Amino acid sequence: MLEIEHITFSYGRHRVLDDVTFDVAPGEIVAITGANGAGKTTLLRLLACLLMQDAGTVRLDTVNPVERPIRYRRGIGYLSEHCPLYSDMTVEGYLTYRVRLKGERSLRVRRRVSEVLEMCGLEEVGKTRMRLLSLGYRKRVGLADALALHPKLLLLDDPLAGLDVRQRKKTAAVLTAASARSAVLVSGHEIQEMLGWCTRFVVLNCGRVAALYRVSDYARDELAQRIERQVSAEAAGEVAT
Amino acid sequence: MTAVQVIWLREVRAFRGAFSCGVPVAAFLAASGWTFVMMLRRNEGSVLQIQSLWGLSIAPWLPVLSALLTMRLFSEERSTGMIDLLMSAPLRERDIVVGKFLSAMTVLGAALAVSLVVPALILPALSAPVQGTVRAPAFAATFLILFLQASAWCSAGTMISVLFRNQAAAAVSSLLLCSGMPAVVYAAILAWIPSVRAEVAWMPLLVHVYDFSTGLFSTAVIALYVAVSLFFLFGCSKLLVCLRLRG
Repeated sequence: MLEIEHITFSYGRHRVLDDVTFDVAPGEIVAITGANGAGKTTLLRLLACLLMQDAGTVRLDTVNPVERPIRYRRGIGYLSEHCPLYSDMTVEGYLTYRVRLKGERSLRVRRRVSEVLEMCGLEEVGKTRMRLLSLGYRKRVGLADALALHPKLLLLDDPLAGLDVRQRKKTAAVLTAASARSAVLVSGHEIQEMLGWCTRFVVLNCGRVAALYRVSDYARDELAQRIERQVSAEAAGEVAT
Repeated sequence: MTAVQVIWLREVRAFRGAFSCGVPVAAFLAASGWTFVMMLRRNEGSVLQIQSLWGLSIAPWLPVLSALLTMRLFSEERSTGMIDLLMSAPLRERDIVVGKFLSAMTVLGAALAVSLVVPALILPALSAPVQGTVRAPAFAATFLILFLQASAWCSAGTMISVLFRNQAAAAVSSLLLCSGMPAVVYAAILAWIPSVRAEVAWMPLLVHVYDFSTGLFSTAVIALYVAVSLFFLFGCSKLLVCLRLRG
């Protein structure tokens, strides 16, 4: 489904991603974790076509975003880290706008919007203006936007940050349901929680893939400790430097 | 609905309730009305036609209104982070640019149309004698040239707004580009190469307004404004590509 091969990216002289290679199969939920500044957000932004790699290739079902950008972007759903929304719009109005913008046929727009409103538990706030929503609801609206057209690949940047336990469980349930149709790539620091529903872990260290773990190959606690040790070591290294 | 229509509709709705739209349009109407009265008094007894007076009172304020309307188009998207969602959607950069540009032009066109009422309101109040009848085609021609000029200023403002996250900075830069640059370029050409005076004699922007209002159409002038608009819109879409390249 998604193939990432030898991706390298720099901001000026500062190399953020260095020879990143891994793939994601359909139905998988892959977690990308690492210390702050490890390159998680940059990798997701690159996969969302918001940045262009210096070297390497990305393919989504053989579609290369550099060669066929529109077709590639039609296959992705992206939730940004800060979850920006138009504060003057209602939830329903915003999702209708986004679904239309992504090129859905007029006749299907209403159906798509009600589908995602239901999937993400947003029916009760459908007519509410975005500026009145809590962070949890805003994240859910962003998630609904990403899920709207059943993309082949979901890119979610830190979707659990700032959410309470109930909201996290709800988000996990939505993602598990979405993984039946899409490959999911999710970044975050909530390792213990993500272990419950992710199938693989990619640990980034200073822009490099430090480790790849298949969750089913390890006992949950052991894997959590391993990953946390790796992330902590990297963070300590960062402080030391 | 095409992507351009979707973006246009969203932006027009955003303009409708925005403080940064209502206040500038109201100020524009007040300023152009005031200029109209001043010009009317100064040109008492002259042969200037009413549509020329209207056009000449509007034209100086167009760059200001354009800068204020276009300042938020991309800079707001950049400051709120919404630009990421636009850029990750399956859209071409030019669709985004054209949709936003057309929304600003819609507001500007509406403001110009409303400003047509100014002569109708002011003339009876001042009891100024109007020689002959007011001819609709003459007003239409004046409207056309003002609309073309507005298109050039708007496209420049749209491009400038891509460069800034801060709306005020975008507005000031756009104003400098729209108001200052033509004058500087014209003065520089005349100062350094006086021999081209005849060739560039048609460049001053108010002359275009006067010519069109008196029926002197020029396809070269129309082509000039269309070309300038397309140049800035093209530049704007390329700047968006650059944003994508380097974040």
